[in-house]
Amino acid sequence: MEITETTEGTKTVAVLDGRLDTATAALTETKLLELLAKGGVIADLANVRYVSSAGLRVLLKAAKQAKTSGASFAVVGLQAPVREVFEISGFDKIIPAFATRAEAATA
Amino acid sequence: MPAFHLQLPATLDSVAELLDALEAYAEAAGINLTVTSRLALVAEEVAANVAMHAEGATFFALSVTPRPEALDLAIEDDGPEYDPLARQAPDTEADLEHRDVGGLGVHLVKKLTQGARYERSGGLNRLSCSLTLAA
Repeated sequence: MEITETTEGTKTVAVLDGRLDTATAALTETKLLELLAKGGVIADLANVRYVSSAGLRVLLKAAKQAKTSGASFAVVGLQAPVREVFEISGFDKIIPAFATRAEAATA
Repeated sequence: MPAFHLQLPATLDSVAELLDALEAYAEAAGINLTVTSRLALVAEEVAANVAMHAEGATFFALSVTPRPEALDLAIEDDGPEYDPLARQAPDTEADLEHRDVGGLGVHLVKKLTQGARYERSGGLNRLSCSLTLAA
């Protein structure tokens, strides 16, 4: 998993590249929570082909922290298999998902 | 389509190794990306569970046996008797504050596969299921 930072409007974009799974969950969680401490975050998952329940746990934790601190947290660019996992888990109802960074930034 | 079998020590490092091997197998076998993701997910959820929670387990092993329309999966480990399928389904309708991801891995396995079943025999846990190739 590689995570790079950029910005879209007033929000930080965390561009994730790789599998979001048991092996990469801890690193990803640390990074997302660190970015959320500074403001709204968009997690770009366009290069994430795979999210397991360990990865879902990280995204849930980020969404909960965002809610607590009043920042925004959204995901963009979900690949079909990742979208499937989101839907089965009901995550599509609790984490805002957008097609593009621009849409997420203005939402 | 070739079969796949890999036995590894029951550690978290092995889980990543298993996923790398599975992705390479799926690509070589021409399995589409949706099925590859489901295959990797099922393997990870079960293997990671063994690596993290099965005290005394020394290995897990995954076998993939292709049929024309589906992949038959079997995942074995030598940990204490444990039926992951018996776990209660999580509440996937709860709102953000009340959401918990405990049990979500097994829930994903049940929803993404067909005919998931558990058996204990010869001192091994064995979880079997099928993954349809029609994505």
